[in-house]
Amino acid sequence: MDYNTNNNYSTTSYSAGGGGGGGGFMPGSQNASDSPSGGKRSYGKDTLRPCTIKQLHDAIHPNPDAEYFLIDGSETTQITFVGQVRAISMQTTNVTYKLDDGTGIMEVKQWIDAEQQSGDDGGDGGGQERKEKEKVVEQGYVRVWGRLKAFNNKRHVGANIIRPIKDFNEIQYHLLEATVVHLHFTRGPPGELNDNSKGGAQNMNGNGGAYDAGDMGGVQKLPAGTSAAARKVYHTIANTPQSHEGLHVQQIAQTGGMEIGEVLRAGEELVGLGAIYTTVDEQTWALLDVN
Amino acid sequence: MTESTPRVNAPYLEQFSHQTVRILGKVRQLRGEQATIDAGGQIQVHLNRDAHLQLNHAVEIIGKVQNDLSVKVMASTDMGPEGNIDFNAVDAVVDATHRYNQIFYEKEQ
Repeated sequence: MDYNTNNNYSTTSYSAGGGGGGGGFMPGSQNASDSPSGGKRSYGKDTLRPCTIKQLHDAIHPNPDAEYFLIDGSETTQITFVGQVRAISMQTTNVTYKLDDGTGIMEVKQWIDAEQQSGDDGGDGGGQERKEKEKVVEQGYVRVWGRLKAFNNKRHVGANIIRPIKDFNEIQYHLLEATVVHLHFTRGPPGELNDNSKGGAQNMNGNGGAYDAGDMGGVQKLPAGTSAAARKVYHTIANTPQSHEGLHVQQIAQTGGMEIGEVLRAGEELVGLGAIYTTVDEQTWALLDVN
Repeated sequence: MTESTPRVNAPYLEQFSHQTVRILGKVRQLRGEQATIDAGGQIQVHLNRDAHLQLNHAVEIIGKVQNDLSVKVMASTDMGPEGNIDFNAVDAVVDATHRYNQIFYEKEQ
């Protein structure tokens, strides 16, 4: 490979591999094929954002022809949300669902795929997908993936996928995820938040209240469901001065006032979570600090 | 907006009297047309005919908070045995709903 040739291509998205195999294409032709996607909004720029229905109603539509909406000042195209089906109405070309997620009500339209329907009679892969769809019932909870649209001053979501919720924890998961994303855009990533203040969003997890007090700024939050012992070991390692090699199990047990066996089990849990890693031997651990 | 039904639990009832709310709790007692559910505290609910509550199941209720902080059920959804639901997450959602209400409901001024 010749680096000089590669340099010519460095402004394009093509990798050196293409140049090596093809023996060189004209830079001009590449620019020509690049420009349409640069001028027009491309699907490549799409993001998928978890939202509440209230956010969809509040979203700013910059102009009537815009293909995107602004939520918290951020361009949004594809969205996903979880809601309860209040009404289903079968139309000739689409199915319209009225969904309620507790923050508002939104109409969701899904086009009926004629080909897929006829494929049902054959009864293979398409048939199963159809069955899946039939499970969307009134008063049931579903997750929707789709695109927010404005039509005659009325908003609806054009759905790509509507899937019934099987595990109801997904409702809580979705609402918390929507909150996290909202806070990310309005207040910045959680790392910065830690530096500014310990309170605020961190407390919303509400888990392990006793250990929240022990949280240090900058130390990552352990996921809900982490055992108390693991949290204790984590905080012991975080709060004890140490070399690059981290702390030995003995030392953690001594400092934290814990049994060796307990520390070993907790350590295993933390290694599994990717919160700590082993250093010089299996029993010496350091924090896996991503910051 | 009348379309929103904020998620609350027992401590929030007073703040939402005469409003329509959503409560996810555990069914503790069934007494004919009344029931007690546990959602951050005991809540007395008045059932409607369509409500089929089951003991020790998680249930989501949409209802109106009465003067005495009991809740008149308008709709209910059975969410299976209570062990299937992570109530830490449910509490976190209620907390987030009111802490960051701008994405969940309009606060009355």
